[in-house]
Amino acid sequence: MESTFNMKEFFKNMKKRLPLIIAMTVAFVALAAAVSYLWMKPVYEASTQILVNKAPANAQEFSMQDIDTNLQLISTYNVIIKSPAILTEVINELGLNETVQSLNERIEVSSIEDSQVVTLEVEDESMQQAVLIANTTAKVFEQEIRNLMRVDNVSILAPAMMTASPEPVKPDPLFNMAVGAIIGFMLGTGLAIVLDQLNTTVRTEEDIDELLGLQVLGIVSPVGDLGKTDKSSKHTDRMELDENVESDSVKTAARPKVGSTY
Amino acid sequence: MLNQTASKRPLARKLVARIKPNSVISEQYRTIRTTINFSLPGNEMKTLLFTSASKEEGKSTTSANMAIVFAESGKKVLLVDADMRKPTLHHTFHLNNHMGLSNLLIGKGELEQSVRDSGIQGLELLTSGQIPHNPAELLDSPMLDRLIEKMKERYDLIIFDSPPILSVSDSKIMANKCDGTVLVVNTGKTEKQSAIKARDSLTTSKAYIVGVVMNNYKLSKDHYYSYEYNY
Repeated sequence: MESTFNMKEFFKNMKKRLPLIIAMTVAFVALAAAVSYLWMKPVYEASTQILVNKAPANAQEFSMQDIDTNLQLISTYNVIIKSPAILTEVINELGLNETVQSLNERIEVSSIEDSQVVTLEVEDESMQQAVLIANTTAKVFEQEIRNLMRVDNVSILAPAMMTASPEPVKPDPLFNMAVGAIIGFMLGTGLAIVLDQLNTTVRTEEDIDELLGLQVLGIVSPVGDLGKTDKSSKHTDRMELDENVESDSVKTAARPKVGSTY
Repeated sequence: MLNQTASKRPLARKLVARIKPNSVISEQYRTIRTTINFSLPGNEMKTLLFTSASKEEGKSTTSANMAIVFAESGKKVLLVDADMRKPTLHHTFHLNNHMGLSNLLIGKGELEQSVRDSGIQGLELLTSGQIPHNPAELLDSPMLDRLIEKMKERYDLIIFDSPPILSVSDSKIMANKCDGTVLVVNTGKTEKQSAIKARDSLTTSKAYIVGVVMNNYKLSKDHYYSYEYNY
């Protein structure tokens, strides 16, 4: 019956279901906010910077080649920092109650291309702990690299610092709420479409034309909207209008068949 | 009892066309009247049947209000309650239902003595009468044809209110005998499939379907006001 997708019809239905869509969107934003603020534990991040630079044997021989060597080493170092060799040591030193694997997941090692600086980021539910782990990892790495690579080219550039009022990196309530808004809007729209499809009643004059091929002689508004005096405020406009009509009919009562002209 | 006037009790609220002649709804009924007048083939429609697919779609309300606006336009109108299963006309106009259509169909009484005054100029009423056991058979008898002929002599327009077409065969019989049939649809309640079935039954009965009245049609606000300014 509804063979073609009617865009105009679609938007008309969406407009009709706008309260539902808005309600769904607001509900999901609220849900995302509640989850972000009340349920999810805040996660803090501490970062430390490590400089990879081999001190040249004598200052004059500091060459491009040395820098290249260091750069090539960085990718190796990135792997080494997150290796069990380092992390086991960190866990032992701090007496952490977790596995290498779980700690590995909380550590992020990155370096900007062609830069000799490696950034080490650690996430933890406590800022203090995050700072501690970051600094310990950097320190252990600095020591261990001498044994592993037999080089002494790593130095801590900037240790992680405890700030006065740390800002959690996770959760990001605004981001979550934005995602919630999108999901809510899409679900609302989807629900509106489903409800529309489920409604198999005759609703528009077009329905009569399409389904029955019959002429619509006219429409009649709900009689309930007339005459009731204890109507809810929803019908206020209409009520006022009726009262106007009433007073008109009183004024014109002397004239017979007021409304019969057409 | 015969030819009695409608009692002095206030008319039922659903008779909008009478109670609030200037209301939007009354105007909507007049618009329907106009459309029916224009869609008449050769202006010879004297009997008009109002039916619907299922119950409670607004047949009685629509037929009563249509009878009122047709009477308003100067026609001599008879409104007949042909629903001998769940009659309502006598309730609407606060009449008793001792005598009416069913009595006339079994040969008891004369049309002239059975019709009632509605209290509205140009509109007379015929209630259903006592509820018979076999409404369909009564309607299918030649008695009805003779009665309709008699009505046509006395009135310009005879409006029949009838039972739902999908539940009983009464309306199919009536639709066949009437010049035109109006299908009342309860907007947002009538199933599309029911509407199609109702149309098909009427077509099978060789009824002339004048068109559809969409009852309980909630106008959107902007639509509502534009409608206001239309007349």
